[in-house]
Amino acid sequence: MARSSDPEWAPPAPRALLTVCNPNSDFATGAATLNDQQIPIIQIRNCLLVSIQTELHDRLALDLQESLMEKVRVTDAKGVILDVSAVEVIDSYITRILNDIGKSVRFMGAVCYIVGIRPAVAMTLIEMGVELDSVNTALTLDLALEKLELLQS
Amino acid sequence: MRTVESEIGAILSGTISAITQRSIFNRLGPLAARPVNQLSNADRMQVMAELENSVRLFARRNSSELIASCARALGADGTGAVSGASASAAGAAAAGTTSAKKLPIEQEKDIATARLEAWSEAVRIGLSKFTSVKVATAVSELARNIVFYAGKGTVELRAVRDDKGHALQIIASDQGPGIAETKLEEIWAGTYKSQRGMGKGLVAVKKLVDEFQLDTMPGRGTTVTCMFRGER
Repeated sequence: MARSSDPEWAPPAPRALLTVCNPNSDFATGAATLNDQQIPIIQIRNCLLVSIQTELHDRLALDLQESLMEKVRVTDAKGVILDVSAVEVIDSYITRILNDIGKSVRFMGAVCYIVGIRPAVAMTLIEMGVELDSVNTALTLDLALEKLELLQS
Repeated sequence: MRTVESEIGAILSGTISAITQRSIFNRLGPLAARPVNQLSNADRMQVMAELENSVRLFARRNSSELIASCARALGADGTGAVSGASASAAGAAAAGTTSAKKLPIEQEKDIATARLEAWSEAVRIGLSKFTSVKVATAVSELARNIVFYAGKGTVELRAVRDDKGHALQIIASDQGPGIAETKLEEIWAGTYKSQRGMGKGLVAVKKLVDEFQLDTMPGRGTTVTCMFRGER
């Protein structure tokens, strides 16, 4: 960012930071851990960025999917990027969640990218024979943004 | 009273885990509790067929010897029951389970715990980085199945060492509804659709592991036993 050389410049408050976790959810892991579980959706230009840092479960995944679709509609986002570099293990259930999100984003006319899949995770997915076929992938967040940028030109 | 279970159990102990043994006896049903001297020839053949399959899959050594001992104990070869003590002692020395950890699986957060435990256990016994991730993924699938379908159960991690090197055995066990035969066929055919997942968890696990056995009985529960070896 060139503007960071300007001492007066401060980053604007995130335009779209929302918590998708419902504190009244009946998910049984206890309120203490529940309140720590937030999946923020961040807007960068006309892309939405989600970094998955917590254990995904039914409720949280569904909330995320709903908020993402709503967010795509409101912001007219062209792309959604899911960063899974903090997810150490992707099993068939998580794959299903990612595919579902990818599909719903596609229905909304946007493109979904998964970034940060680890080599060992990729190998495991291949061996298991499960497909991550409803999403696009990019190695890093940077590359995903680049690809989305190309799509828009 | 010398029942099939007590006689065979004595022979297999030390070589095949208690949980796997239980699943073997579960499969035998009422035959397991029958006194050895009251078995008909057909019963014996049924018991031996089941034992042969299981022993070949799970015994890490001397499986032919063990099967012969079982046959003798059941009187299948006509020489009458003999004590399995010597075979059992040899089995115990060969099997060498170096450590075992049993984790309760009751809610979704236990899945993450089991996964991490399995991962660190795999790394500890010297499995490669990729294999360790496969271990964690398989445990994740199995633990998820327990939470989704049975409500609660256990995942046992056993580090074993034998002449082929280090290995990690995973035993996921529950007393849930079991899997019906028709559903099982759909699962292996890859046509099963589940409400919450992909319906491919078990198939995926089977592809990941080096040895796999599923024991299930509708209404009584499911036990999946699988094994990860070091280098292939």
